Order: sequence, then structure tokens, then C-alpha cells
Amino acid sequence: MELLFFKLALAAYLISTLGYIASLLVRRVLIAKGSTWILFSAFALHTTFYLAQLILTQALSVKNVPETLSFFAWILCGIYLILQLKTKTRVLGAFISPVAFLLMVGASAGIEGPVFLPDILKSGLVTLHVTLSIAGEALFALASGAGAMYLIQNRLIKRKSIGSFNRLLPSLKELDNINHICLLWGFPLLTLGVLIGSIWARTVWGSHWQWDPKQIWTLAAWLLYAVLLHQRLALGWSGRRVALFSVLAFLILLAGFFLEKTFFTTVHNFM
Amino acid sequence: MNLILIGMNHKTAPLDLRERLSISCEGAIHPLREIMKIPKLDGVIYLSTCNRVEVLAQTIQTRETAEGLQDFILQHGNLSREELIRCLYVYEDQEAVRHLFRVTSSLDSLVMGEPQILGQVKDAYRQAVDNGTTGIILNKIMHYAFRVAKRVRTETGLAANAVSVSFAAVELSKKIFGGLQGKTVLLVGAGEMSELAARHLINYGAAQILIANRTPARAQQMAEEFHGRAVPLDQIEETLRDVDIVISSTGAPGYVITAGMVAAALRRRKNRLLFLIDIAVPRDIDPAAAAIENVFLYNIDNLQDIVDENVRGRMQEAQKAEAIINEEVFRFNRWYNTLAVVPTIVSLKEKAEGILRGELDRSSSWMQNLTQEDRNNIEILAGSIVNKILHDPIISLKEESQDYAAIPYVAALRRLFKMEDE
Repeated sequence: MELLFFKLALAAYLISTLGYIASLLVRRVLIAKGSTWILFSAFALHTTFYLAQLILTQALSVKNVPETLSFFAWILCGIYLILQLKTKTRVLGAFISPVAFLLMVGASAGIEGPVFLPDILKSGLVTLHVTLSIAGEALFALASGAGAMYLIQNRLIKRKSIGSFNRLLPSLKELDNINHICLLWGFPLLTLGVLIGSIWARTVWGSHWQWDPKQIWTLAAWLLYAVLLHQRLALGWSGRRVALFSVLAFLILLAGFFLEKTFFTTVHNFM
Repeated sequence: MNLILIGMNHKTAPLDLRERLSISCEGAIHPLREIMKIPKLDGVIYLSTCNRVEVLAQTIQTRETAEGLQDFILQHGNLSREELIRCLYVYEDQEAVRHLFRVTSSLDSLVMGEPQILGQVKDAYRQAVDNGTTGIILNKIMHYAFRVAKRVRTETGLAANAVSVSFAAVELSKKIFGGLQGKTVLLVGAGEMSELAARHLINYGAAQILIANRTPARAQQMAEEFHGRAVPLDQIEETLRDVDIVISSTGAPGYVITAGMVAAALRRRKNRLLFLIDIAVPRDIDPAAAAIENVFLYNIDNLQDIVDENVRGRMQEAQKAEAIINEEVFRFNRWYNTLAVVPTIVSLKEKAEGILRGELDRSSSWMQNLTQEDRNNIEILAGSIVNKILHDPIISLKEESQDYAAIPYVAALRRLFKMEDE
């Protein structure tokens, strides 16, 4: 029963993914619009799943890989849906929906019913730390998605292969804009998330910083994004270079996540 | 169906001939009124554009009307009969309907998928309606035609994608800049081509036009025309800093814009995107500029390739459109065929209705004793018995009407219900 909403959300993600693929194949905006609504209902179901958990256990459990994947998918969708309202670039949904679905498939392998967390993890700071950090990372994921699309579109226009695929992708300007918005919001959110985490860490471990692999890697990625944002805002970098940079930076962030889970022992592990 | 369509278009008749005909028809006389003088004609729609002249007529006697229409065209086109035979096409009934559908949905146009023709057909129809030259059948055909055009537009890609060089430039600009709002365009060389392209860009929202030309007077003249600004030819390098789109079309033998100029300008414009369109032959812009980041360079051949590709795409979409038209012609036929049985169905219903009324009136005296509610119920009951009995024969009649076998049924029905002498 507790996983009912999770499973429904998973199914809805699948349907919306199939819808987006169909809309790309037959090029009907109506199908893509429908898929956006299905994605929205998937997000609503997913939200219900978390609300139910929150009511039952007084906390959100995001402590192992499957739970993180699910939470990441949830935040990613939420951000995309807000972005969709603002930028009207529907084709981005065709990128987000399958990613969310795959994340959920990964999550479903290990997610369990309501998890009663130890009191130490029930702190509001932990929830805030996790939510803000993951929101920042999800925005970076979107920035890299828009960046990847930018690189493709840029290449298509440069090579003069103006075909149906080129028409499907948004304009360079829009993609650059999405990239910009995502970096601009993602960076402060991640910063805030990390800061809150370190405040909490002091209350538990007695110091703000543990030189833990996860912390080091996140710091490295954070520095990378700091450089990128600086180049973008101060030096006026735009276009292809920023797109490429944000794709690479996110790949590094992603690699860190998996490497650290597989090869290192970390105090950041609460399983 | 007794429909006849006669006309000529850009494929069958040369321009001067179409011109002569359309001027003569529009000039002194009123074509609709003139055509309606032809004997045995029930209704007519007259369409004349720069690419075609079409007359769709509904008639009682196809042969005679066809001759009358040919005479009309012969008279006004100043043609010899041989010319006429060579240039005119005549379609009857179902083929006339199909041709009208193809014209309205722009399948028969010079540039397939162009949007103007639908408006022109609508105007022609409005004129016919205003002059009272359309009846139930022509009205129905036109409504079908407009629906077909709408379906073709929404269900196929026939009207999508640019099929002219200047429009391809607009489309590309949109793919790069999102929209043209607020964009500045620099025209290098004030030729006809660049003027056309600039006009397109302005239509789609470009904010400012700058013109650099070898003869400053011409630049000034064009600047006034576009509410833009003339720029000296030797200041192109500085100007490149502030513009978004460059259209170059000079007759210069060498490069007017070198890769070095573009690279320098790009550094100073903080790498904002720059779209260079070189429509000059020989080329004005150094092809090496294409390799610079955030610069997009297209020459006339590149644009032409896009156009060719789009034209091919339209050809494919045309097949889908033809399928839609087949479907709609079939539907129209069905509607038309039921028309033959409609009068019989109407009189059958009237007869039954008459009997029902009569019987209820006769019974009104003893029904006085009943309550109002009971009287209503009896009327409802009687009515539904009549409808139930008539339902199957009416449906069957409509079905039979589809394969031309309705006539014996209609005859039998009229005989059985004594409706013959109407």
C-alpha cells in the first residue's frame, strides 16, 4: 500500500515517456502537450508518495542510492514543469521524461515502504540540506540537457543539415537561455544546501568539514560551476562554450556520485 | 451530379492568356451575372487569380452548359478555338469536386502549399453568395472544400517549411535567435535580392536595418525606404559589432568581409551569435568565417539546398493530402446520393405526421374525459409508434441510396404509401 503511489508514478512516467517518443515520431504537438500533462500527473503522484511518507514517519528518507534516485527524479520533474511554464520549450520534456523514468526504474529496485529514520536524521536541517542540494544538482542536470541540445543544434546549423530533427529542437537562443536560468538558480541552491549540511554536520560530528570523499567531490564540482558561472556572467561566455562546459561539469558531478558510492567508504553513508 | 468545372491554370495556359481572360472578365462586365445568362444553369462560382481562372457550375444539362461556358471564355479571352481546346480543362461531377478540393487545399498551386489560394476561393464563394448564384449543392461543396483545406493544412506538412530563399533565411534566423524581435540587420550591397530578404526579416519583427553600399546615394534611398540607416562601406568592420544578421550581395570580385574582420568583431561583441548570409556570386564573405565559434555562415547554394529539400518534403506531403481529398470526395458523394432519397423521406414523414394529427384530432372528444397527463402520454405513445415504424425503412432507404439502387425502392415506397401524385 505504501508503495502504491510510487508504482503509479512510475507507470505515469513510463506513459509520458512513450507519449513524448510518439510525439517526436509523428510530430504532433497535441501528443506532446498530452505527455506534459501526464508528466504532471506523474509528478503529482510522486508528490503524494512523499507526502504520505512525511505524514507517516515525520521525515523524508533520502539516505541510499534508490531513495536518492527517486528523490532526484521528483525534483527534476518539478523544476522542469516550472520551467515549462516559463520558457515554453516542450521538447525538453522529451529529454526529462525518459531520464525521470529511468531514475525511477533504478529506484524501484531498492525502495521500500515507509522508512523510520533514526532521530538524528529527522532534523529539519537534513531535509533542507538534501532538498536544496538535490534541487541544485537537478538544475545542473537540466542545464547540461539544454547544453547537449545546444551542441547538437549548433552542429546541425553549422553543417547546414537543416532537416526535420533541426526543426524539432528549440532555437539556440532559447537553449542558451534555459542553460543560463538553470545555472543561475542551481548554483546558489547547491551552495545553500552544502552550507546547511555543514551546519548540521557540526551538531552531529563536531566539525563542519570531514574531508569525506563525497564532500571533496561535491566541492570540486561546486568550484567547476563557480568558474563556469563567473565566465558566463563576468566574461560574457555564451553559446557553444558554455554548453560544452556545463555538459562536462555535470558528467563529472555524475561520475563522482557513482564512484563514491562504489569505491569509497564515506561518513556520508547512512544505510 | 450535373456539376461542371471549366478552367485554365498555370500548367495549361501561358501567363498572357490567363491575363487576357481575367482582365476581360473582370473589366467591363460582371462575370457571375454574365455566366448566369447561359441557359439551363442553376448556380455558378467564378474564381480568378493570377495563376488560374476557374468556373464551377451546377446545371440541368451538362453538355449545353459546357458549350455555353466555353463560348463565354472564347468571347472574353479573345482566343481561337484551337487555343481554347489546348488550354482549357473540363471536369464533370466527381472529378469537378476533386479538382475544386485540390485547388482549395493548394495542391494545384504553382508553389504547392501556398496559403493565399484558400482566401481567394473564399472571396470567390462570398461573391457568388452575395449575387445569389449558389444553391444547396454548391454551398455544400464549398463547405466541404474549406474543410478539406483545413484538414490538409493541419494533418499534413504541405504548408510547412520555407520554399523560397529569402524565407529560408528567415526560418534559419528563427532557429538561431528564437525570434527576430529586436534584431539588427546589416545589408551589404543594395541589390534586389537583399531588399527582398530585408523585407521578409522586417515582416517577422527585425528592429533595424543598416545599409552599406558602394554608391552612398542608393544606400541612403534604401535606408529611407526601410526607416533604417546608411553606413559607409569602409565602416563594415565596426558595424559588425552591433548587428545580428548580415546579408551581403555586392558585385565585388573579392571578399568584402574577411574572416579576420568577423573574428575581431566577435571578440568585441562578447561572442553574441552572428548570422552571415552571403547571396552574392562571386562570394562576398570569406568561407573561413564559418569556422569561427558562434558564427553561422550560409551562402546562396546552402539556402537553395534547404529550399530544394523542403520542396521534396512537400511532394511527399502532397501524397497524404491526395489521400485526404479522396476520402472527402467519397464523403461528398455519399451526401449527394442521399439527396436523391431525401424528398421521399420527407414526404413519408409528412404523411405519417398527417395521419397522427388527424387521428388525435378525431379522438379529442372522448379524450376530454382524461386528465391532461394521460392525454400527453397517449400523444407521446402514438408519436413513438409512428417513429419506430418509420425508422427502419428510412435507414434502409439511405443505405440503398449509396449504390444507385434506390430508384426501385423509392418508386415502391411512393406507390405503397400513395405518395405518387405530388
